[in-house]
Formats: sequence, structure tokens, C-alpha cells
Amino acid sequence: MMAPIFSSTSWMMRQVIYALALGVMAAYYFFGWGVFLQITLGVVAAIVVESAFLALRGRDVISSISDGSAVLSAILLAISIPSIAPWWVIIVGVSFAIIFGKQLYGGLGNNPFNPAMLGYVFLLISYPLQMSTWQVDFLSLSQALDVIFDLSNIDVISGATKLDEVKNGLPLSGSIQQLDPHSISQAWINAGFLLGGLYLLLRKVIFWHIPASFLAGVVISSMLLWVSNTDLYLPTQNHLMLGGTMLGAFFIATDPVSASTTPKGRIIYGFLIGVLIVIIRAFGGYPDGIAFAVLLINMTVPLIDRLTQPKVFGQ
Amino acid sequence: MADYSFNGGIVIKNPYPVSKVEIIQAPLPKKIVLPLQQLGGQAKPCVSVGDYVFTGQVVASTKGSFDVPIHASISGVVLSIDKQVIAHKSGLKSQCITIESDGKDKWLVNKNSGVDFLHYSKQALVEIIQKSGVIGLGGAGFPTHVKMSKVLDCHTLIINGTECEPGVMCDDALMQFHPRDIIRGVEILLHICGAKRAIIAIEDDKQSAYQALSMFNHNDRISINQVPTKYTSGAEKLLIKALLNVEISSGKFAVDEGVICQNIATTKAVFDAVINHKPLVSRIVTVTGDGVKPNNFEVRLGASFKHLISMASPNNKAHDYRMGGMMMGIDVASIDIPIGKTTTAIFVNNQAQKPIVQACIRCGQCSEVCPVGLLPQQLYWYAKSKSIEKALSYNLADCIECACCDYVCPSHIPLANYFSFAKALNKQQTREQDRINTARERFEFREYRLERNKLERAQMMANKKKSLKEKMANEHAQKQKITEAMQRVQQAKDKNDGTNI
Repeated sequence: MMAPIFSSTSWMMRQVIYALALGVMAAYYFFGWGVFLQITLGVVAAIVVESAFLALRGRDVISSISDGSAVLSAILLAISIPSIAPWWVIIVGVSFAIIFGKQLYGGLGNNPFNPAMLGYVFLLISYPLQMSTWQVDFLSLSQALDVIFDLSNIDVISGATKLDEVKNGLPLSGSIQQLDPHSISQAWINAGFLLGGLYLLLRKVIFWHIPASFLAGVVISSMLLWVSNTDLYLPTQNHLMLGGTMLGAFFIATDPVSASTTPKGRIIYGFLIGVLIVIIRAFGGYPDGIAFAVLLINMTVPLIDRLTQPKVFGQ
Repeated sequence: MADYSFNGGIVIKNPYPVSKVEIIQAPLPKKIVLPLQQLGGQAKPCVSVGDYVFTGQVVASTKGSFDVPIHASISGVVLSIDKQVIAHKSGLKSQCITIESDGKDKWLVNKNSGVDFLHYSKQALVEIIQKSGVIGLGGAGFPTHVKMSKVLDCHTLIINGTECEPGVMCDDALMQFHPRDIIRGVEILLHICGAKRAIIAIEDDKQSAYQALSMFNHNDRISINQVPTKYTSGAEKLLIKALLNVEISSGKFAVDEGVICQNIATTKAVFDAVINHKPLVSRIVTVTGDGVKPNNFEVRLGASFKHLISMASPNNKAHDYRMGGMMMGIDVASIDIPIGKTTTAIFVNNQAQKPIVQACIRCGQCSEVCPVGLLPQQLYWYAKSKSIEKALSYNLADCIECACCDYVCPSHIPLANYFSFAKALNKQQTREQDRINTARERFEFREYRLERNKLERAQMMANKKKSLKEKMANEHAQKQKITEAMQRVQQAKDKNDGTNI
């Protein structure tokens, strides 16, 4: 089957943004308007910061902004953080992602790390409280505005994510089964991103290697852990449907700039991330590990690329 | 169908299709320009300004094994021998012979026509091919006689009937209208190289050409093989892979594996040379693009692009001109340049906005289509930063510059240009390094020589001193002896004097 011919890089970025729609809609269904507010804040911040930096660097602002990469990074970060996080959180995160994750390296195509994940880790380390407070209920637009901009003292029922609960509850209860590690909302959101990812595969905007090996890495390592001790470790299906697994597999690990670029390398790259996520979830200090896993494996990309060069005709 | 295939490549439909492929005879040009620069060096003119020349008369040649004589393609008077703009990337001028037509097209008479080629020796046939000015007409322009005499133990002759580039139809037309001559040409080539079999490769979308050739092929040593219509099937090594499943090693040539590849048009030219005793004075050129009515024209070599384009009813818009093909061709600024033996096609396109070049996001579309299996996204990085050594370790040298990567790049990066630039830079650096090495060697030898001379001189001086000293010591001793003797004599004298008193 021949590869399709894409009209432009901006077109590819737009396809990725469209493909996010299903997952975002699912998140909206469960958590309400906060999701859209975060995305809006993030996109505006991204455009402002990127334009300012491009102007500082003396580059053509319009043509670089229109490649859509800054907007995409902002959306990915906005849907990764709690939708009730204060307004400045996303702005700080996006600014860090754009400036330190991308522009300081020379702009699009030169960044060794996934900018959105760099922003996420920055936020997670700097503002742990804001980054781990998730709400439980659907919020209307005015409620969301109130919470995010801290306009009035309203009470939002908030809590931790399922992975958080499991991590914190396990030492007390001693068995995963008693904790009920299922979450309807996260399962639906993950399903949305899975479908969006399949759309990208169908349009051939992304190659199958990274998502497939990523999920294989998650399945194999979580299966081995679960078989070794069913009380201590999450079953495989929960690993797949909790946290940011599907978003990571189809939208974050597949960022071509920071991923391995050879076919074999992509498989190794995806697999290592999948395994690392399960290890961080099971043994690490943080409930979820997508961002750390992606950044750590990003570092190995030059080596992977070097070692997995395809066979050249006649050699 | 071909039994095998190769990875990568892209299917590109002819962007300017025609309902029926034809060959239109272009009228005789009023003036022709024949560039003297060849693969084997600059040819020496053997006519002077003002001479009358016949069609088919040799006007210039080189000495050496790569020599391919240049023939006048019209009869007329030599107008000038000077520098003219030719079809080259650089746009530089090059030495050319200009001939003004007398409009009569008088041919140099050939006597020995009509002899069965089987009566000739292989050497004689190769010589005829050489004398007739036949070179590879597919685009590379390698002298055919060199290729035919170079090969040892050739087992397969491949006749390349795949168009090198999408949109080019000149070989298709030739196969449709001259199938008998082509089959005969293949037989001549088979006779020369002694191969057991010949395979004519045709793309599977050229059914009329396939049928025409099949109808005239009664030789069981010749088979006609259809290959998938995929761009870069026409590249020699990839075609051999698709037909024979043989991968020619990097840095080696098809002839090293006992395979000879010849282009369809070259085969026809061989037929004309051997059977009709006609030197190569014309070729079929595709004129296509959205600025003209696409068609094939048989035109005399040396006629200007302009002459031919005017035949193809161009529209009145501003045009971009490209020679060769949409993928590997080169843009030409002027159309007052001559058509050469390797001018397969002229693209005349309405001027259009070029897409904006965006940043490389390493999406990998390019490595998917690279027929050689390179990683253009990595090579680009190194070519751009001029890290030639790094680029070479990513197999820069194996790039065939087919521009498949350019075609699919969503960021519209002219990748093949970067690679050809990096190759040129590498060549230049190697040359410079060689020069530096030679200079250093020379310098070191000079230092060594000076040092050696100094030592030798010091030694010589020391020796001289020593011998001088010895001489002086000798002389001194001699003097001593003399004075001693004189003293003795004096003493004796004194004694004698005393006793006498």
C-alpha cells in the first residue's frame, strides 16, 4: 500500500487536533465546561508566547504559527491537567512548554523532548496540589468560570483520580480488588482517544508502530506483574483504561519530532514507554507515569535511531 | 509481470495525460547548436567557420576511449564555433558549433548499407555504434560502445522501456511506432554482448506498447516483461531488482554482475546505426505540462527548446521551464538552449506559487518512499548542518536523487537538492583534503631535504676541517723534523769548529 501524500505539515497537525475531538467530548460529558476553558486558555497562551518568541528570534511569525504545532501542544497539555486547575496553571505550563520545550532548542523540529509533556512535568513538580485535584461532577460554564478564575467561593466536589486512589489506598487495604479500580469516566475518555487514534492510523498521519508497541509494552508488563501478585498490581484492562494511556499511545508518544524515526526504532521506542509507564504506576512515587516515561525515552531516541538504521539497497 | 519488486517508490499518475500517444515530425530547424562538452572531455571541432557540412557528417570528436563523435544534424554552413548557453544547471556558457541550415537536408552518402549484421564481428559492430554517436538516451548519456565492450560474461540484457519519469512519453511512443526496429536492435545488442537472453521491461500501464512489441517479437531469447507503474522503476539497479531479484551492491555497477541495461531509445538508435547506417542526428522529445498541448516530437539534435515548444501550441501565460522530468529534471531559465541527445522531455508549466517550506518534523513519510531505504529525515539534518562525515555514515553516497522524498514531504523541503549539495560538498572536501595532503607531504619532504642537506654539509665541513687539521699537524711535524735536523747539523758544525781551533 502506498503512503498518501499530505498537502502540508499544518494539515497533519490539524488532523491530529480533529482526532482529539472524541476524547475531548467524552471529557466534557463527565467534567463539563472546565475542559474547554482550559483548552481556550492554553491555545491563547500558546499563540501569544510563540508569536512573541518568534518575533524575538527574528522569524516569520505567521508562517511558523500556522504550522499548528504550538496549538496542538497547548491542547494536549490542557487536556492532561485537571479541568478545575486555576487559570494561571495552564498558562504557566504552556509558556514553559513553548519556551523551554521548543523555542530555546530552535523551534519546531529541533526539540528533543515532547513539549507538552515537559510542560506537564514542570507543573506536576511545581504545583502538586493544583495538579492532583480533580473534580467529580459535571460543571456548567458559570461554575467552571468561578472555579478556574476563583471568582466566588463555591464548593466543587473534588477528589483524586482512580490511579491516585489506588496508589494511596493500597497500603491501607492491602488488596486491589477491594478498591474497585474501575472508572466509567476515564474508560470513556480513553475510548474516545482510542477511536481518534484509529482515525489517525486510517489517515496514515501516524504509523502503527508506536501505538501498537506502546500498548503491547503496557499489556505485557502489566500482565506479568498482575500474574505475579493479583492483590498488589492492577489488572491489565485497568492499566489500559485508566489515566492517560490511550492519549499517550496515539497522541503523545507519536509526536514525530521527539520520537524515534526508523521503523524498528519506533517499535522499540513505543514498547519502552509502555513498560516504563507500568513500572512508574506500580513502583514510582506518582500515580501516573506517561509524561515521565515519554521524556525519559525521548532521551534515548538518538541512540535508538543510530542503532536501528534500515538496510540500504545494495549493502 | 515482473516476479519481484523493490521497496519504496511512489505511484504518480501522468499529470498531463493525452488521449493518444503520437510522434510528430518537427520541421527542420533554421539553426542548430551542438555543444562540444562530452563525458569524455571537450570534443575538438574538425570543421571551420564557413565550411559546408552534410547531415550526418562528423563535425567534432575527441581522442580516447569515451569518444563519441558529434554529427551535423542538418546540412548547411558552419556559422560559428564559440561559447553559447547550453542546458545545464549552472546556466554557464560552453563551447558550441553553430550550423545554419540550407533547408535541403543533404545527407552524407553511405555506401555499405543493407548488409546482415550477423556478418560483422562484435568489434566492428561496437565501432559502428561508436562512430554513429550513440549514447544512453535515457538521460545519463553514457557512451553505448563503452558499456557494450566493458562487460565480461554478460548473461542478461535488459532493455529499459519504463519511462524514467511520470509525464514523459517518448519511449512509449517509440515502442508503439517502431516495435520492429526495436526488436531488431535488441537482437543486434544480444549478438554483441553474447547474453543468453534479453528482457524488455515495460510499465503495466503501457498496454499498446506492450502489444506492439509482442506482435513483432518472434525471438525466443527475448522476453517482454511488464513491471508495475511505479516511479523509480526506471532506475537501473531497481529495475534489475524487480526483474531478476538481484541486488547490485552499493558502489558496483550492473555490468559487474553480468547484466547490461540499455534504454529503448538507445536500442532504436543502435538499429539505425547498424542497419540503416544512420548516425544519431535526431531524437524523440516529449513536450508536456499545463502550458502546452502535450505530445512527442521527433526533432533534430541541436534545435532550440523554443523551436520545439512552439510546435506544441503553448498558451500565452508566463511559463516555468524544466528539462528532463518533473522529479529529477532541472529548471532552465532560458529556452534558447539546444536539445541534446539526453533531452527526454521539456516541461512547460504555467507559473505557479511555490509552496512554503516548513520545518522538518521527522514524520518519516520520506523514508517510507525512499527506494534505496535511506532515512532522508536524518540525512537532511546532517546535510543542512554540513556534517558530511555524519551524512556519509547515513549512506549519503547511495542516494540516487530520485526526489521521491521531495514529492511526499509535507513540509515541502527540497530534500534531494540538499543531498546533491552535500555530495558536491563532499567531493570538494575530498579534493581539498587530497590537495592539503599533497601539500603537507611536499612540505614535509622539503623540511626533510633541507635538514638532510644541512647535516650533509656539516658532515662535509667537519671532514674538511679534520683533514685540514691532519694536514697541518703533518706539516708541523715535518717542520719540526727539519728544524731538528738543521739544529743537529748546526751542533755538529759548532763541534767541528771548536775542535779545529
